[in-house]
Amino acid sequence: MATIEINGKTYETNEEGFLIHPEDWSEDVAAALAREEEGIDCLTEEHLSVIRFIRQYYLENNLAPMVRSVCKATGFPLRHIYELFPSGPAKGACKVAGLPKPDGCV
Amino acid sequence: MSISVIPADAIEEKIQKLTEKDVKRILTVFREKLDANAACSLYSCVHCGLCADSCHYYLAAGEPEAMPAAKLDLVNRVFKKYHSLIGRKLPQLAGANPLTRELVRNWVDSLFGRCTLCGRCSLSCTMGINIFSLIRAARSALAAVGLVPPGLQSTVDTAIRSGNNMGISKENWLETVAWLEEELQNELRDPRLRLPVDRKGAKILYAINPREAMFFPLSISAVGKIFHAAAEDWTFSSANFDVTNYGLYNGDDEAAGIMSGRLLRAAEELDCRELVLAECGHGFNSNRWEAPEWLRRKQSLRVRSILEVVAEHIQNGRIKLDASRNAKLHTLHDPCNLVRLGGIIEEQRYILKHAVGDFVEMHPNREKNYCCGGGGGQLAMTNFARRRIEAGKIKTDQILATGAEVVATPCHNCIDQLMDLKKHYKLAIEIRTVCEIAADALIIEAKS
Repeated sequence: MATIEINGKTYETNEEGFLIHPEDWSEDVAAALAREEEGIDCLTEEHLSVIRFIRQYYLENNLAPMVRSVCKATGFPLRHIYELFPSGPAKGACKVAGLPKPDGCV
Repeated sequence: MSISVIPADAIEEKIQKLTEKDVKRILTVFREKLDANAACSLYSCVHCGLCADSCHYYLAAGEPEAMPAAKLDLVNRVFKKYHSLIGRKLPQLAGANPLTRELVRNWVDSLFGRCTLCGRCSLSCTMGINIFSLIRAARSALAAVGLVPPGLQSTVDTAIRSGNNMGISKENWLETVAWLEEELQNELRDPRLRLPVDRKGAKILYAINPREAMFFPLSISAVGKIFHAAAEDWTFSSANFDVTNYGLYNGDDEAAGIMSGRLLRAAEELDCRELVLAECGHGFNSNRWEAPEWLRRKQSLRVRSILEVVAEHIQNGRIKLDASRNAKLHTLHDPCNLVRLGGIIEEQRYILKHAVGDFVEMHPNREKNYCCGGGGGQLAMTNFARRRIEAGKIKTDQILATGAEVVATPCHNCIDQLMDLKKHYKLAIEIRTVCEIAADALIIEAKS
């Protein structure tokens, strides 16, 4: 178990940097996760539109969206998603959006 | 995709609550999984220590617990205690131990948490012991009482429940295929290009790793493009498209049989003559070699890796590649389950020889290659993630020594581990599947 600290408050993450309690998430937490985990110093509006969509989808479906849905919702071509989040949609975007680690080869 | 939050100490809680009946069950299942050869080999280890340097866990951290012989010894002690005269009468002399809670804890920690079932130690074993298969037998016994680390077990559960290991719905799968088809039609300016689904009587049923559809679909497009160029007669299945089988890793043969059985039945029901498996090491080993054991029946159709199909198309001239389009220096990582344990060794090299301008082998390679560190279910077991990254240092050093800019590997599991290594060790490399590289080199003649 690891932790990240934001404005004096501590949040628990697992060994791979995913939030233990997805409900801890806020856009401040996202900014911290992006810095720590993805090396993104400042989240742009483009990052945020991906993150907000993934977050909303997760809250409604208790699932991460397929990358196809992310592209459709944001209007970004697939390759741009990988440019925005170098670790990819799972270990990059979903992690920053505060989702738990998905099952499978990720 | 399913998501579940499980407390990290769930396993410890289960160990605390183990009953005598549970322990008996572990021992019974363990005994059932051992054939005569395996039982003999449990007596054969002479503690020569030659296996130590074969294991990436031992090489990376130098912990004595990580030596393959030490992991095997955890299993040996228990076997001797219950199945040898000297172990029953004089346990201390025989190095025999009853299966205590402490030992169960060590089994979980070392057999799940310090082993990728890569099989490399067996190559250096003086006595030729299949150490990894004995470790898998012990994992099977732990699985029988629910002692599989949470992320690994939930990946198996999701596959059994939903038909694929990420819980992708049929609707989402079909939508993704339709989207990729449209993108490819636009890219190649050919409206007749198809990514067919449930096409009865197609020669090939092609199965993918769900990770491709969910997060990394460019590898699906790459194969679609190659099949299109080769005018291949193929199809996807709408219901059974998952090449993975985490039953190989958690040791649950029954679950493994269900997963491989679905894939085979899908191919049979579509009257396909071949099941072709995407670039997935353990998926290949499971469906090509283990499935007949799990299902207790012969394969009813040909099962091949996509690499065999692509290499054949190059050889027959059905596709042509222009290697100058991949001018960077490439190297190749050999996935353990595909190469050492699967026998697909030269096909990927043959493809890359035609697809890239500049290629360098990493050393050692082929069946002697080091595991990337992500196999054996390690990617799914977050609680052991630090050890996984640490053990990946051996692979990292191998890659760095090549000076390559691109690492090709025909396995999505390896790709994910390599991506983690790239991030952690700050490697300036691209990581790609063999088919992605081949697809970029494809010469596609304009069709009127």
